[in-house]
Amino acid sequence: MSELTYIEALRAALREEMRKDRDVFVMGEDITRYGFGVCRGLLEEFGPEMVRNTPISEAAIIGATIGAALRGMKPVAEIMFVDFILMGMDQIVNQAAKMIYLSNGELDLPLTIRAAEGTEWHGGGCQHSQTLHSLFVNIPGLKIIIPSDPYDAKGLLKTAIQDRNPVLFFEHKQLYTQKGEVPDEEYTIPFGEAAIKREGKDITLIATSWMVRHALDVAEEIKDKVSVEVIDPRTLVPLDKNTIVNSVKKTGKVLVVDESPVTGGVQGEIISTIMEEAFWDMEVPPKRLGSQNTPVPFSTLLEEEVIPAKEKIKKQILEMIQV
Amino acid sequence: MVTKEWKIEAFKDMVRIRELQDTVQQIYREGKLNGHIQTCQGQEAVAVGAIRVLSKKDIVFSNHRGHGHYLARGTPAKKIMAELYGKVTGTNRGKSGGMYLVDVERGMMVASGIVGGSICLAVGSALASQIRKDGAVTLSFFGDGATNIGLFHEGLNMAALWNLPVVFICENNQYAEATKKEEHQKIKKISDRAISYGMTGVSIDGTDVIKVYETVKEAVEKARSGEGPTLIECVVYRLAGHSAGDLGAYRPKGEEEKWRETHDPVKIFQTQLFSKGILSQAEAERIVREAREEIEEAVQFAEESEEPPVETACQYVYQEEN
Repeated sequence: MSELTYIEALRAALREEMRKDRDVFVMGEDITRYGFGVCRGLLEEFGPEMVRNTPISEAAIIGATIGAALRGMKPVAEIMFVDFILMGMDQIVNQAAKMIYLSNGELDLPLTIRAAEGTEWHGGGCQHSQTLHSLFVNIPGLKIIIPSDPYDAKGLLKTAIQDRNPVLFFEHKQLYTQKGEVPDEEYTIPFGEAAIKREGKDITLIATSWMVRHALDVAEEIKDKVSVEVIDPRTLVPLDKNTIVNSVKKTGKVLVVDESPVTGGVQGEIISTIMEEAFWDMEVPPKRLGSQNTPVPFSTLLEEEVIPAKEKIKKQILEMIQV
Repeated sequence: MVTKEWKIEAFKDMVRIRELQDTVQQIYREGKLNGHIQTCQGQEAVAVGAIRVLSKKDIVFSNHRGHGHYLARGTPAKKIMAELYGKVTGTNRGKSGGMYLVDVERGMMVASGIVGGSICLAVGSALASQIRKDGAVTLSFFGDGATNIGLFHEGLNMAALWNLPVVFICENNQYAEATKKEEHQKIKKISDRAISYGMTGVSIDGTDVIKVYETVKEAVEKARSGEGPTLIECVVYRLAGHSAGDLGAYRPKGEEEKWRETHDPVKIFQTQLFSKGILSQAEAERIVREAREEIEEAVQFAEESEEPPVETACQYVYQEEN
C-alpha cells in the first residue's frame, strides 16, 4: 500500500495503462504544463505523440478522440473544467453515444473523457464550478463514473480505459489533493458495483464524489445518536441497484446527496429506483440533497449556501431520525 | 491520366447513384418511405471521383446526403434501400433510415445527420493513422452549410496543426437546407478558409469527375506522405430539394433548370464520352438500363425484407462484454 493523492492515483492509472497498451493516449488543453496536473510527468515517459497538448477546442478534442476510438485506439480526453464539456456536447450526445448502436455493435468506442467538476476551493463562479454529470445520465449509450477517493479513482479509471464503450469520468476538484491508501499491485474496479463506505443500520446515506467525504464525516460525528450506512454508487451508469436497495430495505430510511442541482438531478433517479423496489420497507419519506437550483455564485459565503455541505446533511439526517 | 475503362466504370457508378436517388425520391413521394431522406443528385461526380482514389484501408466519414458515397464505395444498393425502408436487411438493420448509414467492412464510418458533426471524427481517425503509422487516409465529406459550424473550424485547425492525413471535401451544392450560399456566408470561395488554418485549399468544378479524381488523388497522396490535410471545395448544384419530399419552392423560378443545363454531372460526362468515342448511345442506354434494374431489384429486396425484430430496439446501446 502507498498513500497517494487522488491526482497521483489517476496519474498512476494512466501510466499503467499507457505502459501496457500502446493504443492508450491522452490529450487535452495544457495537460503537460497547467491545470490540475493529472497528466503531469507522462510526457517525459511517453512523448508528445501520446501525450498531446491541444488548442482550446473542446469539440475537436472530444470529436477527435471519438474518431480515434472508432479506429480502435483507446484515447483519454481531458476536459479541464466540466463546464467546458458543453462545447463538445454534440460530439458526446449525437455522435459518441450513438456509434455502437447505429453500427449494431460492429464498432467499439473505447473512449474515456475525464472532466473536473464541482465547486472549487472557492471562487470559480458559475462557469467553473458546475456539477453536470446528471445531464449525461439521461443519455443512453454513455457510462457515467464518479469516484470519491484515490483507491476508487485509480481502479475505475483503469476499467474505463479498457471499456469498449464511451465513458464519462467525473473527477472532483475538492478531491484532487485528498490522500488515501492505494495498493501497489495492479487492480481494477468493475463498473456497476457500489461501495459500502461505512456500515450502519438506522439510515442509508447515499453519497457521490466529494459528498462521500461529507457523508463519512457526518456519520462519524453523530455515531452516538444514529448508525449511518454510507453507500457510494461509484458508477451512476450502470447503477448498482442491488446494494442500494438492500441497504434501504435494512434501514427503512434513505437520504441521497449529490452535488447536482436538485431539480432533474440524479438524486431523484436513485430515489425512484429505490421506491420501485423498496417502497413497502420505507419508514419515512426518502429525502434528497443537492445544490440549490441556482448558478454557483462567486462569494464564498454564497457558494457555501448553495452546495449541500456537511451541516445540511447532518440536519437532514437528524430530522429523518426523529420522525 | 485515367484510362477508358476507368471512365466507363466511373460513368456507371454515377448513373447508379442517379438512379438510386431518383428512385428514392420518387417512391418517397409515393408514400412508400418516411423519415428524413436527403438525396444527392448533382453531386455524383464528387462521390465517384473522390471514392475511386481510395485504397481499401482508407476511411470515409460521410454526411446525411451520403448515399452516393456508400454506393461508390461498394455498399450494395439493396442494403441502402432496405435501410431507407427500415428493414432488418439494411446497412444499420433499420436503426438509421436515410441519414446515418454505416458500412464498417468498407471503411465507411457512421454518417452524421448533424451538419458538420463528423468533421472532427475524421480528424481523430487521421490522428489514429498518424500515431499507428498505418498509412491510411481519411476523407471527410460535408456541405457548404457545414463550413459555418464551429466543428469545421476546430477540426480543420487541429488537422492542419498536427499535419494529419485527412482530406476535407466540401460539396458546395449552393444550398444549406433552404438557404442560398450567398445568404449564409460572405466569402465566394469556400477554399479561401483553408489559408486561415495554414492549409492548402482548392476550389474545383465538382461536376467534372476526372477533375475531382485528380484533385483528390493529389491531396490523398500528400496526406499519405505526411504532408498534411487539404480542403477541396467541389462546386456543384443540388439538383433536388433538401430532402426527398422537398420541391424547392424557395428557389427562384427557373434557377434549377438553368443550373441543370450546365451542372448535371451525369449528362456532362456522357456527352464527353460520346464525343471522344469512348461510349456509344447504345452502351449508354445499356448502362442506364442495368442501373435501373439494379435499383428496381433493390426496391423489391427492401419491400420483401423482414422488419427488424422488436427485441433489437434496445440491442447494442452498449457493448456488453469486454
